[in-house]
Amino acid sequence: MGDFLVDIVQAVVERKEYFLELMVQHIYLSLTAIAIICTIGISTGIAMLYVSWLRKPLLGVVNFIYTIPSIALFGIFIPLVGIGYLNALLVLVLYGLLPVIRNTFIGLSGVNATLVDAAKGMGATPFQIFIRVQWPLAIPQVFSGVRTMVVMTIALAGLASFIGAGGLGQAIYRGINTNNSSLILAGSILVALLALAFDFFFGIFENYVGLRPKSKSAKVKLIATLVALVILLALSSVPYLYSPKSSRIDTIVVATKPTAEQYILGDIISILIEDRMGVNVSRKFGIGGGTSNIHPAIISGDIDIYPEYTGTSWLFVLKEENSPMDPDTLYNLIRSRYLSDYNLVWLSRFGFSNSFSLAVAESFALTNSISTFSDLSSKSSNHTFGAEFDFFEREDGFRGLNNTYNFNFAKVRELDINLKYQALANGSVDVINAFTTDSRVRQLNLILLEDDKRYFPSYEAGIVVRLETLTRFPQLKLVLQSLNGIIDEEAMQQMNYRVEVLNENPSSVARDFLLSNGLLNDETND
Amino acid sequence: MKRMTKPIIEISRVDKYYSQDKRVLKNVSISIEQGEFITVIGPSGCGKTTLLRMINGLTNYSSGSIRVMGKDLEQWDWVDLRRRIGYVVQQGALFPHLNVRDNMAFVLKLAQKDGLYTKQRIEELATLMGFDSNQLDAYPAELSGGQQQRVGLARALAANPSIVLLDEPLGALDNITRRGLQIELSRMHKELGVTFVMVTHDLFEAFRLGSRVVIMNEGEIVQVGSPKDILTNPANSWVKKFVEWEQLLA
Repeated sequence: MGDFLVDIVQAVVERKEYFLELMVQHIYLSLTAIAIICTIGISTGIAMLYVSWLRKPLLGVVNFIYTIPSIALFGIFIPLVGIGYLNALLVLVLYGLLPVIRNTFIGLSGVNATLVDAAKGMGATPFQIFIRVQWPLAIPQVFSGVRTMVVMTIALAGLASFIGAGGLGQAIYRGINTNNSSLILAGSILVALLALAFDFFFGIFENYVGLRPKSKSAKVKLIATLVALVILLALSSVPYLYSPKSSRIDTIVVATKPTAEQYILGDIISILIEDRMGVNVSRKFGIGGGTSNIHPAIISGDIDIYPEYTGTSWLFVLKEENSPMDPDTLYNLIRSRYLSDYNLVWLSRFGFSNSFSLAVAESFALTNSISTFSDLSSKSSNHTFGAEFDFFEREDGFRGLNNTYNFNFAKVRELDINLKYQALANGSVDVINAFTTDSRVRQLNLILLEDDKRYFPSYEAGIVVRLETLTRFPQLKLVLQSLNGIIDEEAMQQMNYRVEVLNENPSSVARDFLLSNGLLNDETND
Repeated sequence: MKRMTKPIIEISRVDKYYSQDKRVLKNVSISIEQGEFITVIGPSGCGKTTLLRMINGLTNYSSGSIRVMGKDLEQWDWVDLRRRIGYVVQQGALFPHLNVRDNMAFVLKLAQKDGLYTKQRIEELATLMGFDSNQLDAYPAELSGGQQQRVGLARALAANPSIVLLDEPLGALDNITRRGLQIELSRMHKELGVTFVMVTHDLFEAFRLGSRVVIMNEGEIVQVGSPKDILTNPANSWVKKFVEWEQLLA
């Protein structure tokens, strides 16, 4: 337990600048959302008090929004406002409205009617009735809604990283995708602390504006709280004032999908651009939903560059059929389609393919002299095959594979995706399906067999760039082309291993790679 | 009854319908002089509270006319009218978020009276009601029912109104407290010379406090007169029975 905490603290201290930046993004996003929610929510609640026909439709709408899963809500707005800060802000605001509107309305309409009547009978104007009677008496209810909303908004802002809006969720998400539990916990704990701190601030605020007499110390606490909030907002807005909007013109946005491999490739691209071109790179790594959200965003110009796989482009983006094809032919087809259909350029391939394959233990390959799928097929009747249930389900999985190679395994077992490697290591299965760049292939010294009939589509990794970005930065093409063919499967496995198993930082792994290949100008250790 | 001044409240031929066939007030007329203490009594649902709330415009009427302080109700600005009429309801209806001082000053603050004046006025009222300065800082929840109603009364008197409307002000109090407050109401009425119109369901209270008593039944005024008049000359057998029957219960 102690070690565990030490790990977490270490994770934060080691990357304190990273965490500070995420924290600042998180606070800025949450505070702006909270301010907008309070303004809209409270005034809507007040409007509902006076305009009774508004009540049902408005509560209906906000209740409905509340039932949409938040993740889906982020996705819904991508076609409208793209990915990033604005999208996240919109979702946070829509989500947070319900508790504030509802509590404001309930608080105001729940004020004892006799009191309102008495005030009216004493000659209070409608405005005076509101300011002197209804509002002060509704405050506890309004504030309980606001506090619910504040905690919820800060937690929900943790999901903003899914759509590239940054925040502490980025650390959590990165931790999940790179198998780094101390990163996950550090991010989660910071989000929780932030929520508690905000709840505490708002509690003080509530005490002050609440029913009870206002003592001197309450006033001091209130002022301190307000000052602290203003300073926080001001500090966290600094990066926004200086970077993205003002300098979008000379910034290149690099995005990645949420996998360790993508983080590494994203950092390789980003570090190289920064080093060679001296241009600002904005890293929107780990976009949730992967290609389905990145592809629209790069078309709309929210993103300039991201690493992609040929198989994904062919099957998922271009929605073409899977047919055996030579990787170069596939690449050229995709390249011309991307240019004509989307004004996107497929620039350079890294030199490895992250596709499905079959893996066996080294000793097994040697003793049975098996190196291709066809070799395996002829001897399959003596062996056991294992894969996760998903592989047996999908069309391009086991069934198609069996048809192509006529496998005849003695036994076929369904295994948990994370346990299949162990099963292979302890000999309970002989063959498993695996990704060609999986770090565990390296960790366990597995041998990947050759798909000699090209059953599995090729998933060669490459770089997709906006054509417009290439014209804006004439140097960029040359810089990115220097990454052509420099990473083979073994090198990628090695890097994935360092991130997923050794829990190293993807950016330091990327930097090491660039240095050892002599690609950085400012080489200091050579 | 000797006519000393112009009537301060003049209600003539007032009808009120809740719906087409539900008439809650039937052809009600009464003239109230400056300085009278009118008590209104009758069985539940007889329309006495409805009648009271028409005087400060909290309830509207369907036909007839009401003149208050020499001006037809239609011509009054509601806010202006209500600020000149004190209003006391059951249990005081004090504002729980304001202390005694701010509750008392409520009407003065609505009218944005000068701060120094307000302060002096609150001190006068505190003396009148027998509150010390500690109690002025207390919140309604910290007061007894009787104390709450005194604050309610002080609040109604704060702006020196010519008329005070009281809607069953002592209804929720225990007997001893109620008797005590009845004496105070009577004393205050004499001291201030203000017109009181009070709705009550306590016959003893109505006859003890009222300079004239209004007896209502099923939306109509059945009899108006001094307590002695009514007891000695009930207008009809219903009044006779009502007065006796209620006395038995009291």
